Amino acid sequence: MRDNMADEIIRVLYLDDEEANLFSFKAAFRREFEVHTCIEPHQAVRLMDEHEFHVVLSDQRMPRISGVEFFELVMPDHPDVSRVLVTGYADTDAVVDAINKGQVYRFVSKPWNEEELRTVIRSGYYLNRSRVQNAEQGAEVLAMLEKLAGQVEALDGQLAAGTPEAISRVQQELRNLREGVLQERERYAQWMDRLGK
Amino acid sequence: MRFGPPYGRVKVPLWAFLLMAVAALSGCGSGSGTAVDALVLEAVEDPSGTLRPEQVHLKQGGVERLEGARPNLGSTDAAYWVRVSGWQGAPRNARVVLDNPTLDSIDVFTLNGARVLGSVRSGAAYGNPEDLIPSFALPLNEAHELWFRVRSTKPLLLPFSLTQVDRVEATRRRRDLAVALYTGMVLAILIYNTFLAFTTGQRAYFSYLFVVLTVGLVQWCFNGYDRLIWGDFSWMAVNGLAVMGALSGLAALVFARHFLEVRRYTPRWNLMITLLLWVYAAALISAFLGMPSVAYNLVNLGALSAPAMLILSIVSWRKGNPSAPWYFVAWSIFLVAVTMQALRDFGVMSSTPMAAALLPIGTVLEMLLLSFALGNRINVLKRSSDEANAKALAASLENERIVKEQNAELEARVRERTEDLAKANSGLSNALHDLQGAQDQLIQTEKLASLGQMTAGIAHELNNPINYVQSNATSLRRDLEELIQVIEAHVAALSGLASDAPDGMELLAKAQDMARTLDLSFLIEESRQLIQGILDGADRTAHIVGGLRVFGRMDGDNLVAASLGELLEASITVLGDRARSKAKLNVDLEEGLPPLWCQSGKLSQVFMNIIVNAVQATESRWQDVEDRKVEVGLIGVKDGAGKLQALKVFIRDNGTGMDEVTRQRIFDPFYTTKDVGKGTGLGLSIVKGILDDHGAEVRVESAVGEGTEFQLLFAIDAMKGGGTQDRNEAA
Repeated sequence: MRDNMADEIIRVLYLDDEEANLFSFKAAFRREFEVHTCIEPHQAVRLMDEHEFHVVLSDQRMPRISGVEFFELVMPDHPDVSRVLVTGYADTDAVVDAINKGQVYRFVSKPWNEEELRTVIRSGYYLNRSRVQNAEQGAEVLAMLEKLAGQVEALDGQLAAGTPEAISRVQQELRNLREGVLQERERYAQWMDRLGK
Repeated sequence: MRFGPPYGRVKVPLWAFLLMAVAALSGCGSGSGTAVDALVLEAVEDPSGTLRPEQVHLKQGGVERLEGARPNLGSTDAAYWVRVSGWQGAPRNARVVLDNPTLDSIDVFTLNGARVLGSVRSGAAYGNPEDLIPSFALPLNEAHELWFRVRSTKPLLLPFSLTQVDRVEATRRRRDLAVALYTGMVLAILIYNTFLAFTTGQRAYFSYLFVVLTVGLVQWCFNGYDRLIWGDFSWMAVNGLAVMGALSGLAALVFARHFLEVRRYTPRWNLMITLLLWVYAAALISAFLGMPSVAYNLVNLGALSAPAMLILSIVSWRKGNPSAPWYFVAWSIFLVAVTMQALRDFGVMSSTPMAAALLPIGTVLEMLLLSFALGNRINVLKRSSDEANAKALAASLENERIVKEQNAELEARVRERTEDLAKANSGLSNALHDLQGAQDQLIQTEKLASLGQMTAGIAHELNNPINYVQSNATSLRRDLEELIQVIEAHVAALSGLASDAPDGMELLAKAQDMARTLDLSFLIEESRQLIQGILDGADRTAHIVGGLRVFGRMDGDNLVAASLGELLEASITVLGDRARSKAKLNVDLEEGLPPLWCQSGKLSQVFMNIIVNAVQATESRWQDVEDRKVEVGLIGVKDGAGKLQALKVFIRDNGTGMDEVTRQRIFDPFYTTKDVGKGTGLGLSIVKGILDDHGAEVRVESAVGEGTEFQLLFAIDAMKGGGTQDRNEAA
């Protein structure tokens, strides 16, 4: 299990139909984050396939596609990325759609507050990480359980021989297995503790 | 008119009076006839009436003996000679009486052989009032013969008798009394009924009066008293009885016709009555033409009417005529009296004084009974009239009641309906009020919706430049700080180098390192761009705000002179990415056109509405923005002389287009092709209202699959005077 959150550079993608906004965004956040900007939605889709972004921001009002529609489009392939909708003005419909369809994490209105936006990006990053880790953790636990099942099956096979050597060997193996499970349990508990903070 | 039943009250004295009358009238025939049987009558017919007395004496061959007290030779034109004998030995004061006043002429001759000793003339034709009971003195010599020559148009009834003179006079007195009594009764009846006739005005009463008068006169004639009236007017003396008989017959028939209401109950009998009337009329005519015996016989023929009337009364009775029984009884009495008279005349019945009185008594009874009947008839009429009145009254009361009920019912119904109507009316006015409220609300909603759309557009348009101005400023400050650090580092290094400080080179290297780390050239470039962004943003903000200013107040009614071109531009600007980023917008506005007096805010609303519709129409049709084309144009329309006539705004799209039905309805309030909840359907109806206020002509051309074009024509004339100044808002 990795625990490298603090060290990692946060990769951010910003989609807007106005060049000036893109430039401003990059100028504002280039020092902290790895900022990618994009004026065309299809470009943004390609960029997302190429890089693993932690946070994706999109303007709501764009000529061919709205921000919400864009998020809807990329969600199946990138479910864990944190989606932030940036808009100059949003009516209720847009907000509702943003939450229900685009599963937007945060909603930021223009003109943005740089500090606020920074915090949003950071927390978006953490959300992304925890989602990814959740998935990894789940996969890890699953793999471990399968491995355990395999080991138990093997031991069961050894017991079938019924010789005293075999029994003592199985006992030794079981002790090791127990040690391993306890270690994993400890590790998981620590992870859970960290998650709970 | 009310008629009491007078007869009931006077019945007893009347009947008493009648009894007295009967007693008096009985005296008519009494007195004569004490020695009738003693007389021997022998008659000789003289058909031509030319025989002389001396010739009669020789005519022994044709002599016939007359039998009975009242020999009747019938009605004949012939004269008869009657030899009266058997008087010999009678007292000297005795006289031969021929008690028949109707005989026209009586010539009495006293003959001695063929020699006429003396003659006396009497009879109706000679009109001597003293001779009402013709009586003749006996011849002095008992050997002489006494011959009577009688001739009459009436039946030769010859009641000879031998009577003493004083008895004759007594008879005459009694007869006068009886006739006076009779006349008195008739007069009383006549007067009383005349009064009634004029009071009631009944036709039957007048004919009844005629009957009474004529019947009374007939009775006078029978007794010879008519000569008291016409004196020695011999024609009347001869014809009186026939004339009176005919008149009384006429009267009786006319009365029957009236009284029995022949036309009503027995219309078929009317013809018979007419025929009988003609018989009597013929009798009268005959009398006047000098044919008295024809007249008399016609009258006798007319006497058929007596039984005919009796039968008629029975028939009428059966047909339900309430007067008929009365008539039947009265007529029966009369008929009985007449019959008995006839029987007496023909010698079937013995001639007693009582019998002689029967006819006048019968007539009086008839008169009285008919009078009663008339009275009864009046009563019946009155009763039926009362009944009819009562019925009519009841009917009218019933009608009134029904009408009242119906009125009440009608009133109730009217009230009910009125209430219903009032209810319905108030319901309708409530509904109308609600509708108006709803409409106002919808219009307000539509206004707010377009205001909201505008606000959203403007907010978005403004927030973007504001965003990057603000963001760029922050970034620029950071860049500047870094630049300043680099500059300060370089300044420190330079001052160290200048003062030959030992760390000068070190400082320089450090500064250069800093410049490299911070990427100085990038910082400079970025700063420039940030500044450019700020300037651009400020510009754009100013532009948008400038566009907004063109609108004036959204709700303002003020007329301002505004350039349509500017208004169109401002509208497009305010629509911002709702228009420009969603479709290829091609704007072509002619320059140098005069301003238009208009409500600028409202016209902008119009333009925005139509442009947004156009954009949406292209969106529905085309996937790619590049394919969606909306053209907005403004051109001046000139007439032949090159004078500007109108300004034409057109908004053309290549969207879905509309069919004819939709095209005709787009300006109808609440008509919308958008999904429920997406549009109020008021947008274009408000647009139409605003354009109408501006006197603008609207043309819409559209075809499904090709697109739509809106043409708005603003006439130049309409702009000058501010003709729309006083108009209220249409929306």
